[in-house]
Amino acid sequence: MLRKEQNDLLTQTGPATPFGQMFRCYWVPALLAEELPENECPPVRVKLFSERLLAFRDTDGKYGLIDEFCAHRGVSLWFGRNEESGLRCPYHGWKYDVTGQCIDVPSEAAESGFCKKIKLTSYPLVKIGPVLWTYMGPPDKQPPLPEWEFSLVPPEQCFISKRLQESNWLQAMEGGIDSSHVSFLHRGDLGSDPLFKGAKGNKYNLSDMKPHFEVVEQPGGLYIGARRNAENGNYYWRITPWVMPNFTMIPPRGDHPMHGHFWVPIDDHNCWAWTYDFHPTRALTKDERAAMQAGQGLHCKYVAGSYRPLANKDNDYLMDRAAQKAGKTYSGIAGFAIQDSSLQESMGPVCDRTKENLVSTDNGIIMARHRMLRALKTFTDKGTLPPGVDPEHHKIRSVSIVLPPDQAFKDGARDALTRKLGKAQTTV
Amino acid sequence: MLSESARMTTAEEARYRIDYPNSKPRATKVIALDPASEAVVKRLAQGQWQQASFFTSLKFDGAPRGGEGWTMKAWLSDLAGRTKDLIDEVTSADLVVMVASAGTKPDAAGVIAEACGTRKVMTTALIIGSEASSDEELSKTLASLRPYTSMLVIASNDDYIEEMLVALRA
Repeated sequence: MLRKEQNDLLTQTGPATPFGQMFRCYWVPALLAEELPENECPPVRVKLFSERLLAFRDTDGKYGLIDEFCAHRGVSLWFGRNEESGLRCPYHGWKYDVTGQCIDVPSEAAESGFCKKIKLTSYPLVKIGPVLWTYMGPPDKQPPLPEWEFSLVPPEQCFISKRLQESNWLQAMEGGIDSSHVSFLHRGDLGSDPLFKGAKGNKYNLSDMKPHFEVVEQPGGLYIGARRNAENGNYYWRITPWVMPNFTMIPPRGDHPMHGHFWVPIDDHNCWAWTYDFHPTRALTKDERAAMQAGQGLHCKYVAGSYRPLANKDNDYLMDRAAQKAGKTYSGIAGFAIQDSSLQESMGPVCDRTKENLVSTDNGIIMARHRMLRALKTFTDKGTLPPGVDPEHHKIRSVSIVLPPDQAFKDGARDALTRKLGKAQTTV
Repeated sequence: MLSESARMTTAEEARYRIDYPNSKPRATKVIALDPASEAVVKRLAQGQWQQASFFTSLKFDGAPRGGEGWTMKAWLSDLAGRTKDLIDEVTSADLVVMVASAGTKPDAAGVIAEACGTRKVMTTALIIGSEASSDEELSKTLASLRPYTSMLVIASNDDYIEEMLVALRA
């Protein structure tokens, strides 16, 4: 459980909130690059950390993320004309560049310099791989660009999607470090999903339903190790890194692509669940990419023309009681992503953690909250940058490995837990 | 028309969740396995807890092992120094938390874990002081505790134990 004030601290990410301030120390995924596919394409409304913004790509291919509303009369610039290196408000013709600087006010003489006095809030928007990243903190504190492995591999080795989750970011993120739910909620899919099935590790997963856990602090966050019995007294380890505050990488299965998540607050009641798949050494196969595009693995199908899952709360997540009864799916909901989102959204917009009853296997979640609250205190008191900002903390990998019983995974998998661009992952 | 799920996941509906204590206090026994962890456990014991009690197993090393002299009663004690029967304490526990410091090889853990295992009581082990210790020291303690617990936590700071006990409603 958390006290109410702790729960409020970790779940409120608006601009005037302590955690919102700390969250703004990080580069976060803002949009898929496909949302701004060409120069002068239509702008896209973006809400992040409870701020209404507008993303656009100008005539020269420069990306901008600016306040959604015109400084003149408060009109949404989503209606704007993206032309001649700027976005022009259709109401009275005021025009802004990608930095939010007003560059034309037609009613005023150009010589007056009036437009130079008008500037919208703006944030950098940078394309790395298939994702547009933003940093919404103070400009003088802007850290180096992120170096997550999935964003650095060649495009043919990577697939990324995002889906709207209608809940606070924290309950979504906590699902990602809650290793013990996999054996229940997702058990039906391990053997059938094309992006999971066939791995030798699945056998260990399904034959030992009571994993033992080890939680170890690492510079950027945590390693959460789940061990199960393997042959000859050895242990099968699945090691999930969590990097503060919102990144996880799921341990690999066989030669399937590696994958994981980012959870980014939209406002306090909604977040983006980002899902990446990549293979460190080879292009994704046609079948793998087709499966991801079809919503398999950790991805999902969408309501046409949106990033809202097709199975959502408006249709009861397409609950199938017959499949539940038959054991085809454990909860009656199909697919990893919606199995998670359906339950996490059912907690309510913001989970009330004062009422929960955690058990010892929830130590990964308890430790993650502890790390975030500790980092928040030193950030607030001393201005210390939190873990996970430094790109060195991004150079990690998840691992699945068989180790002798007396070997700590931190030692036995030390090398494997370090990102090595172009080198194969350690997987079972 | 809104679906059941759409209606029930609103903030408005969250207000109607029944407000009542949905659990009873659970008995948590916290046992220090070495002198450094005993100091931490003593500090923790000063706090306000629902049903947590605190012990030390430091006399274990000097206690007889096996044979006629072996007893479960001679080495576990509360922080006032009163000898306690391990079996009695485990029997009345919902969770046993063992605390060790990095670099130690706490032999008592095996006996405590066996008593817990027989009575199906969950165990958690915490290793503290990992920041100041070498990987070798940490690995030694990890290896000695791993067989005896389903949850092993390596914490760089002592304050995590308190946070964890609060989170578990100890």
